[in-house]
Amino acid sequence: MIVSNRKDLKEIEKYIENLDKFFLIGCSECATLCGTGNEEAILNLKQWLEDNHKKVTGWMIAKTGCQILGTKRELSQYKEAIEQAQCIMVLSCGAGTQTITELFEEKPVIPLNDTLFIGNMRRFREFEERCRACGECFLAITGVCVVTLCPKSMLNGPCGGYKEGRCEVNPLRKCAWIIAYETLEKRGLMEKFYENILGPKDWSKANSPRQLKASTGYSKSKTEDPKEK
Amino acid sequence: MSNLKKKLVNGEFVVTAELTPPKGPEINQMIDKLKELKPLVDAVNFTDNPSGKMRMCSLAACKISLDLGFEPVLQMTCRDRNRIGIQSDLLGAHALGIRNLLLMTGDHPILGDQKEAKPVYDIDSSILIRLINNLNNGLDINGNRLNGKTEFFYGGVVNPNAEPLIPQLKRFEQKLKMGAEFFQTQMIFEIEKLEKFMDYAQRFNTKVIAGVVIIRSKKMLHYLNSKVPGVSVPKWLIDKIEGFNDEDVEKFGIDFTAKLILNIMEKKICHGIHLMAFSKVEEVKNLLNYIKI
Ligand code: SF4
Ligand code: SF4
Repeated sequence: MIVSNRKDLKEIEKYIENLDKFFLIGCSECATLCGTGNEEAILNLKQWLEDNHKKVTGWMIAKTGCQILGTKRELSQYKEAIEQAQCIMVLSCGAGTQTITELFEEKPVIPLNDTLFIGNMRRFREFEERCRACGECFLAITGVCVVTLCPKSMLNGPCGGYKEGRCEVNPLRKCAWIIAYETLEKRGLMEKFYENILGPKDWSKANSPRQLKASTGYSKSKTEDPKEK
Repeated sequence: MSNLKKKLVNGEFVVTAELTPPKGPEINQMIDKLKELKPLVDAVNFTDNPSGKMRMCSLAACKISLDLGFEPVLQMTCRDRNRIGIQSDLLGAHALGIRNLLLMTGDHPILGDQKEAKPVYDIDSSILIRLINNLNNGLDINGNRLNGKTEFFYGGVVNPNAEPLIPQLKRFEQKLKMGAEFFQTQMIFEIEKLEKFMDYAQRFNTKVIAGVVIIRSKKMLHYLNSKVPGVSVPKWLIDKIEGFNDEDVEKFGIDFTAKLILNIMEKKICHGIHLMAFSKVEEVKNLLNYIKI
């Protein structure tokens, strides 16, 4: 999921100084799990705006904010409330916010959240970054994502900086490579891992912005190299 | 062939020392230190923004050293440059006459004085070592042909104090496979740990230079222990020093390191020593006089 966090109110204040009427949009996917785009978050924001003598013309929660066509369809029934508003506030990740930007070119669209990372939820609303969307997944080899969990994205084993198995960057965390080692050992793949060297990583696969036309079949496309086409 | 390589290959015991380039444009102090060090050691390593603290580049410092007729070791990390920058800097270093390289991944910027910097780590130290292997074969990292071959003598680092140790041993082996010609260790406080590592390393026929540090003060020891990645000072050593006054610490520091070095030499544990993190040439002089290399 995409983990997001509510912006500081001071920052939000800066964006809305000269605006009075707002329409609010949440998202029922990741932002709801994060508590940044669910009904409670929307109602709290509404209350805060009204306490600051602003008007909320309406609000809704998109099913999947990053889905452009679906969201457009859902919004059609709020046409009037949106027309009355001077500004739309979006309580989702950056992708959801840009759906709205694309749909309402003439109105200011303000993100209420900062988008942080792709992560997992361990306990209720406790999130851990797990993937950097590097474009070429190595999890089959290393078990845990060393590209993300090692602050140096080391592909071939640990640096010399860990102490008692703890990472030099954050001693509260176990060194990602110690975890990867344990995984390799348990899987009986340690020796095999060291026969080769992983990398240099092809970071061009992570160059932004990326686009994809997905296919669902495995029959042909699986082994085809898109570069050869 | 670099002098350092010649000596190591001939089985002579080498002594190197570490200098950190200045924080600022003023180089006279560094030059003074270099002149004093010249008769004492075989080569001097110039660190690459150690602990992520911004300093003058080691490449320039190496060139200054060469101009003074003194062989440098260029330390190069993966922290601040991508593969293009690294290769480009290394070709430049070669053109200036720099031949010895010590390659490492590098401490994370969050530990330094430019915490907001974007860490690069485009490649890690194993790949960096293979990259130099390529350059020496007249190829860039992608296998494109260069207009000639470099003649670098290049080494990697290893931390015999690491716990757990096996991942370090595996890394060591991997760096050997990638072509590393020698190794320099993280600072050693306990000879047993070095011996344990060397028991393993000896089967690979490589050269290992042991990192040692002259303990100067309690503060320094605490700093090394808590702030320097990969350095753990054994508790008994910290406890021991706690009881000394400042003057005694200095005496003890020289004595302790001298004994460590003598031990390494007598038992022929390693092929050289590398004096790390010092600020006074006087200390190096005292130490080397003490052990009379
Ligand atoms: S290897 Fe890449 S794609 Fe796979 S989890 Fe890590 S960052 Fe994500
Ligand atoms: S200690 Fe481990 S996780 Fe931390 S930077 Fe080094 S290799 Fe990566």
